Amino acid sequence: MFSRHRYRWTELWLLLLPSLFLLLSLFELLVVHNLKTPVSTNKLPPLDAFTPAFGLIAALFAAHILLVIVAPDSDQTLLPIAGMLTSIGVVMALRLGPDVGQAGLGNKQLVFAIAGLGVCVLTVWATRDLAWIRNYKYTWAAVGLVLVGITLLHAHSFSTNAPSRDVLNIGSGGLSFQPSEILKICLVIFFAGYLSENREMLAASYIRVGPFRLPPVKHLGPLLLMLGLALLTILVVKELGLAILIFGLFLAMLYVASDRPSYIIGAVLAFGIGALAIYNIFPYAQQRIAIVGNAFDPSQRLGAGYQIVQGLIAFANGGVFGSGLGLGKSWIVPFSNTDYIAASFGEEFGFAGILALVGLFMLLVYRGMHIATRAHASFNQLLAVGLTAVFALQTIVILAGNLKLMPLTGMPLPLVAYGGSSLVANYLIIGLLLRLSQEKS
Amino acid sequence: MDNYQFLLYLRIGLVAILYLVILQVVLVSRRDLRQAEKPATASISTRARQVVGRLILIDSGSTQYKPGQQFDLEPITTLGRAPTNSIVLESSFVSTEHTRILYRDRSLWVEDMGSRNGTLVNQQTITQPVAVSPGTILQVGDVRFEFAAA
Repeated sequence: MFSRHRYRWTELWLLLLPSLFLLLSLFELLVVHNLKTPVSTNKLPPLDAFTPAFGLIAALFAAHILLVIVAPDSDQTLLPIAGMLTSIGVVMALRLGPDVGQAGLGNKQLVFAIAGLGVCVLTVWATRDLAWIRNYKYTWAAVGLVLVGITLLHAHSFSTNAPSRDVLNIGSGGLSFQPSEILKICLVIFFAGYLSENREMLAASYIRVGPFRLPPVKHLGPLLLMLGLALLTILVVKELGLAILIFGLFLAMLYVASDRPSYIIGAVLAFGIGALAIYNIFPYAQQRIAIVGNAFDPSQRLGAGYQIVQGLIAFANGGVFGSGLGLGKSWIVPFSNTDYIAASFGEEFGFAGILALVGLFMLLVYRGMHIATRAHASFNQLLAVGLTAVFALQTIVILAGNLKLMPLTGMPLPLVAYGGSSLVANYLIIGLLLRLSQEKS
Repeated sequence: MDNYQFLLYLRIGLVAILYLVILQVVLVSRRDLRQAEKPATASISTRARQVVGRLILIDSGSTQYKPGQQFDLEPITTLGRAPTNSIVLESSFVSTEHTRILYRDRSLWVEDMGSRNGTLVNQQTITQPVAVSPGTILQVGDVRFEFAAA
């Protein structure tokens, strides 16, 4: 309404780089295909490689044009960074597809990417007035919890062999999504809405108990209730990584809202007690943690430690500059296209590639925090901080899991890992951040 | 040049693109930060004195102000209970960030910031930005103002 219309030249220029990456990758895959000594046992049909590469370039530029129309003044680096990460994801899906027995994986990931970019632009357009998001904060929290609740009811009818119970099928068309992806966005909105209204109370008033200063229960109550409900449902779904994500999210937003380190100290203590309780109650948590220590143990090497060890071998095989795209053997890692996408990427692009990947995520987080510092209203600030924290925490949890620094959890690497619901949900977050960056005053 | 040597160059090229993206985004960010610094230093002297209108207090509600007190309106004026607002209203009927008044298209606009008790312009609760002119009555919580020209 008030914006001066100007063209997003920076974004256009930055988008050329992911396009170049896609074209070069396509070229490399075709060269590898024609090598005399085949590396991969299953060859990629040459024509199948063209659609994902050119399709994603077209989709990125289409999203760019739509953003010029819908939000001309929004941040110009978010789409190129996200586009670069998605390009990596599509190239890896394309490359791994034949080796994991799904030749059309690249095309599927392209469809998810197009859906994600569509959702991103739609979000930017639909949130022109952020007030409706802020006003319905309890509704959002309820929506997230109901979705997870339905999944819980459904979970009983699923086979117990499924790696995760966090799946909701829609209809009979085989369409399914992970409600937890929606839950985390809903929780960010709720925390942002609640904390921005009670910011002063949380920062100023507290009850003194000896040397400790406790926050007023009246104001923290709804927050803790929501947090507890979310964590409880997640424990039933057995997604420990998600529990860490939501708790970390809560801490980050509470600290930014109150500016009080005492909350953080208290929360970390509570986390320690909670983690200890979970460790003692749930045997699968004990297994997950034990495996970090003894993955190479002969008794575990081909059992529970198999995936972790294979992942580390893939990383090691890559060396500094990697084996080259299409020349790795990362399909020896179970779930090399989803949970272990970082290992597949690390093998073929090497340490240099992984470092660049982490750099891209750091820039994404930096831009998110930059948007938060420039936001005017405290709801916008907290929303930007929370959404950025979702990216940061997901990346840390899965990368540390892949590198055997932390118990492995089935959390997708944002924007890169194969999977529709994660990609679409992360693009929804990018869309919200784009909108928040537009609201300068 | 055999295929493997060619693949080596391609591989280095692919990783180089990743670093090029990082470099470019860092350069854009640096430019953003520099641009943000310049107007900030320049505007302290110019914008601070730019008064686009005034508010005259009619009913002070439970605040400590006296009726008749005048407040200058800047291009962006925020009203609310938090001390960060341009006009701080210490009243329990006022939300932390209650209302903001913008100067756009040569007119003053009143916008509610999602307050609990709402913002009233000429006794009507507003749901979207409303253009106002001198003489309009603005109610924020239990505090009432009248708009006046600069």
